[in-house]
Amino acid sequence: MSGFLSTNLVLVQSTLSGLLLALSIQVPLRMGVFSFAGAGSYGIGAYGAGILVLRYEYGALPAIALTVVATAVVGLLLGLLINRLAGLYLAMATVAFDLIISVVAINGGELTGASTGLYGIIADFTTAQMVVLTLVALALVALSERGRLGRRVETVREDPELAASMGISVRRYRLAAFVASGALGGLAGAMNVLVRSTVGPLDIGFGLIVLALTMIVVGGSRSWVGAVIGAVIFTWLPDLLAVIGEWQELVYGVIVAVAAIYLPRGIHGVLADGVRWVQRKRRDRRAAAAGVVEEDEDGGVRPPEGEDLTGEGGVPLPARAGPDPAHALDQLAARPQAGS
Amino acid sequence: MSTAAAHTDRVDAPGAAPVLELRDVAVHFGGVKAVDGVTLTLEPGRIHGIIGPNGSGKSTLIAAITRLTRLTRGELLLDGKPIDDVAPSRLAGLGVARTFQTVRLLPDLTVRANVQIGADARAAAAGQRRTRRGWRDRLRGGGTSPAVVEAMRRTRLEGFEDFYPAEMSYGTQRRVEIARAIAMQPRLLLLDEPTAGMNQTERAEISALLQSMRSAGLCQLLVEHDVQMMIDTCDHVFAMNSGRLIAEGAPREVVQDPRVQEAYLGRRWREHARGQ
Repeated sequence: MSGFLSTNLVLVQSTLSGLLLALSIQVPLRMGVFSFAGAGSYGIGAYGAGILVLRYEYGALPAIALTVVATAVVGLLLGLLINRLAGLYLAMATVAFDLIISVVAINGGELTGASTGLYGIIADFTTAQMVVLTLVALALVALSERGRLGRRVETVREDPELAASMGISVRRYRLAAFVASGALGGLAGAMNVLVRSTVGPLDIGFGLIVLALTMIVVGGSRSWVGAVIGAVIFTWLPDLLAVIGEWQELVYGVIVAVAAIYLPRGIHGVLADGVRWVQRKRRDRRAAAAGVVEEDEDGGVRPPEGEDLTGEGGVPLPARAGPDPAHALDQLAARPQAGS
Repeated sequence: MSTAAAHTDRVDAPGAAPVLELRDVAVHFGGVKAVDGVTLTLEPGRIHGIIGPNGSGKSTLIAAITRLTRLTRGELLLDGKPIDDVAPSRLAGLGVARTFQTVRLLPDLTVRANVQIGADARAAAAGQRRTRRGWRDRLRGGGTSPAVVEAMRRTRLEGFEDFYPAEMSYGTQRRVEIARAIAMQPRLLLLDEPTAGMNQTERAEISALLQSMRSAGLCQLLVEHDVQMMIDTCDHVFAMNSGRLIAEGAPREVVQDPRVQEAYLGRRWREHARGQ
């Protein structure tokens, strides 16, 4: 195991930072926020941690903590600024944010190392620490998919109007999405620069958005499991495809295209559908054995023989009256308003 | 039991403080007066109905009450306090629940989880903190609140807990929506065409369910096209046409009101009927 780890250390580290980067885009998507700001936060995290260690001699963990807080605050401010946007307009605004971070990095002079970036960022940061921090972040994201919070996130994404009627402040959740995205992106960037010891403008460009989106599209956008699957595939695939040389770009593109067309919910969606199918089969078998619930031909629930329909404290069903002028209205009520 | 006999079981609350008051409420979209100067009062323990032809402003009125549509003028008072500036998301905390004209369930959640969203809203409004057991439940994917069990029992959804919305008929999905609203344990329940897409048996079941909830003091406002169901279910009916209230009172009297019949059927039809 340790032999495998030492041989593939860079790939393991890249998988972890890639996973957090993918989550920084996926978490807002799960809340219906089409934001790529996580890539910009990755840049801030990478340069922030690098500058703190290189210029101000911070330790690795304090540098990471500070940059994560900073990127979360930047995420909040960005959210406050563009929270009213939605869909493509929101996506474009966040892409613009990412590009601004790149431009600042290039034009940051001595502080950011300008176009050559920062080198020699040596810190006391180990792969084990990186694994622990990633697992903590992953656990928090996984928790957000369960219980009350998970249901509320689902509601905010699927139906904001329903969410409001269920007492959920959609605006607050959207802002939380920006904060979480900022923190995750910042953590990914900070950890990556501390294990690589270098960062340049090319490391934080538009390619990050493409990489994160690819991981989510193929892995699945609805769960952290999808991000893990995507991160593993697209970190290790280029290495495995090295034998076919320049053709690997083609294979890479075909995989993304096939996933986008035939797996709209990604590999995780296929797995989830499989689990649901098995659950349904088991449930049907149990129901058939017990003979309890079934829907009648009209789709209604068929109550057991002789059971009262009203439930506790219920009022018995009123019988329909005989000829009644309202019956004519009843028939015609669903028609468009007649001209009067 | 006859309809008249069923009416005798109803809990009348004359003089009780109104749950909701609308004073001269108007919602205009440019030149279109979707709701125009509606004044009405909803009392606790009573089922109120709104009837009217398509486009008469019934659903817009519900949207105005739930603050999803901005008022052009007028006042909304919940328990005597104005709610004109209250955010839609705060209404659930004030005891207002609703169902929608079209079924709006979350497709990736089971029936149990969909209904639990209503109980979540209630718990959040009550500021209930999680117990240690609650946290354990959460780690396992969330427990089921007693309110959810009760709501599913009342709507006869036992056995459907682990179904997904796509696996059920439209009528059963409607029941899940109603169960979700019941799980909020509201004081005011707004139901926008709750029996649309249901067969007669299911409609009768929903009618009986709404009547059973009245005895607990719940104030209900029902929008429906099925006039017979309104007669069988409601204590008080408001009739709307072109954004205005044109009649109100006991259900049977309202549907026989010439203005209401004219609104539904047109003046020519009435003249034709009178001539025969």
